[in-house]
Amino acid sequence: MALSLLYYAQEFLRGEWAKKFLAAKTAPLVTPPHFRNYPELTGKTCTHQLICMMACPAPGAIDVVMTPEGWKPRIHIGHCIRCGLCVEACPNGVLTSGRILESMFYDNTKLSFSFRIDVDTEKCMGCGNCAVACPVNKLIDAQMSHGGRASTDDLLLKVSEGKCHVLHVEKCTGCKTCENHCPNEAIRVARLLEAIHSPEEEL
Amino acid sequence: MKRTVDVSIPIGPVHPCWKEPARVKCETRGERVISAEVELGYMKKGIERIMKGRPWQEVMFLAERVCGICSVIHNMVFIEALEHISEIVVPERAAYLRVIVNELDRMQSHILANFSYCYTIEHETLGMYLLDTREKVMDELERITGARVTCAFIVPGGVRFDLRAEDVLHLRASLDILEQDIKRYTGIFERGPMIALRSRGVGILTQEAARESCAVGPTAKASGIADMDRRLHHPTYQKLGFVPISRNEGDNFARIMVRFQEVIQSIALIRKCLDQLPEGPIRGGGIPGAGEIAYSGEAPRGELSYFIKTDAAGRVLEISIQTPSIMNIEACCHYMLKGVASLADVTSTFVSSDPCIACTER
Repeated sequence: MALSLLYYAQEFLRGEWAKKFLAAKTAPLVTPPHFRNYPELTGKTCTHQLICMMACPAPGAIDVVMTPEGWKPRIHIGHCIRCGLCVEACPNGVLTSGRILESMFYDNTKLSFSFRIDVDTEKCMGCGNCAVACPVNKLIDAQMSHGGRASTDDLLLKVSEGKCHVLHVEKCTGCKTCENHCPNEAIRVARLLEAIHSPEEEL
Repeated sequence: MKRTVDVSIPIGPVHPCWKEPARVKCETRGERVISAEVELGYMKKGIERIMKGRPWQEVMFLAERVCGICSVIHNMVFIEALEHISEIVVPERAAYLRVIVNELDRMQSHILANFSYCYTIEHETLGMYLLDTREKVMDELERITGARVTCAFIVPGGVRFDLRAEDVLHLRASLDILEQDIKRYTGIFERGPMIALRSRGVGILTQEAARESCAVGPTAKASGIADMDRRLHHPTYQKLGFVPISRNEGDNFARIMVRFQEVIQSIALIRKCLDQLPEGPIRGGGIPGAGEIAYSGEAPRGELSYFIKTDAAGRVLEISIQTPSIMNIEACCHYMLKGVASLADVTSTFVSSDPCIACTER
């Protein structure tokens, strides 16, 4: 009895224990620097190439808007799944999340994009909405923006003989405007994303 | 044949000891269970339907959201299936990094399953110790991949992030602490007299019953079947000289011990990976193309298989996922629960087979 009392007295009368007991406090919650959080802006200038929007797998998670300071990507927190693909894809390093940018530099990784447009000829009724809506077509041929006839064959999309044809797929920027404007869901854009890591090559 | 049943008792769908909702209906005489049936369907997500028609970039992130506990293996199996379709070669360093992250994920899943069992047999102290240990594994996962649960680490042709020299040191130091901790907790579990009363000889699944019910993963390994481990067919694991473990008791105790042993085995595998880790690129590039394949890998709970059909742009036209828990739940309800002596053992036996309802219902 006396021994066990002595044992408990020894256990509790330590200064360290008493201090912990009286000032019990959990460590403050700190987000570690390597945690891949929602992307944040680094302050570098955005050049409005919209590659972040193309790489994003979650619908409606990122868009690039015009602000008084220039173009800026905007993250919608409820939609973002924090995958960090936009950070990897951005050629100018506008976004940052955890240490992705650092590791991209360290690993010397390069992302390349290409696009593929599939037109389902069974469903396509040749209405030409895609060709008129396409922003690349508008830049090449201004007539297209008000629904005029195409004057050149340099266009990305062109309707001839009642069907939509993809002429220069390498000009596509992956904005998916055609897909959104097609009434029959006949046209679909797919992005082909490829990342290559080359440790020997200098940046 | 007329059976004498005293009362039919439903357990669940919401039960304080279970992580996810499911209903087990037991027909009992006294407290002894005569037969049991499981009722699922409380958390159907319809994720396969959401995946259909989407490009692989989106399906990759949806796949790891099938299950919150074993997300890395869903990512890995889906991406490796895509790679087999379009013949993408993975750099060797990336293949080793995949194994490291996969084994870390397996460790945290097994420790969580064992916590769940300890909590169910009301040995909460050991349960809390295990949860504390699991945090160390989660910290390592976060340090390597940048996220705790949905890591998005594996991409076609490689992995997202490299493992640096300081990460390797940190990982090795954590593995030493983890090994020490897990060995201590294994000793506590193995020698605890109260734990033995609740676990040894309860919920026995014989080897024949395990074969009949197609049990997979630790549930089958505890009954002496080890040849169904899909890691035996994985080239990187073959290089590492992986040999699955098995025990012969087939009761709750054996299932938990198999998980503890697999954690120790995973630590050894990660150490071997770190020793053999070659230099070189981590991303080889490559674009998924058209094709169809049935591919499977070893999730923490057993065999996980994907059937995928893609078109030329890498869109997933058809997908069907078969997860391990459906077999284990079948084995649990139709074989293990028969003859369980008390209702308190029903919950612990159900938990010991580690059912993942989120995976099962998708």
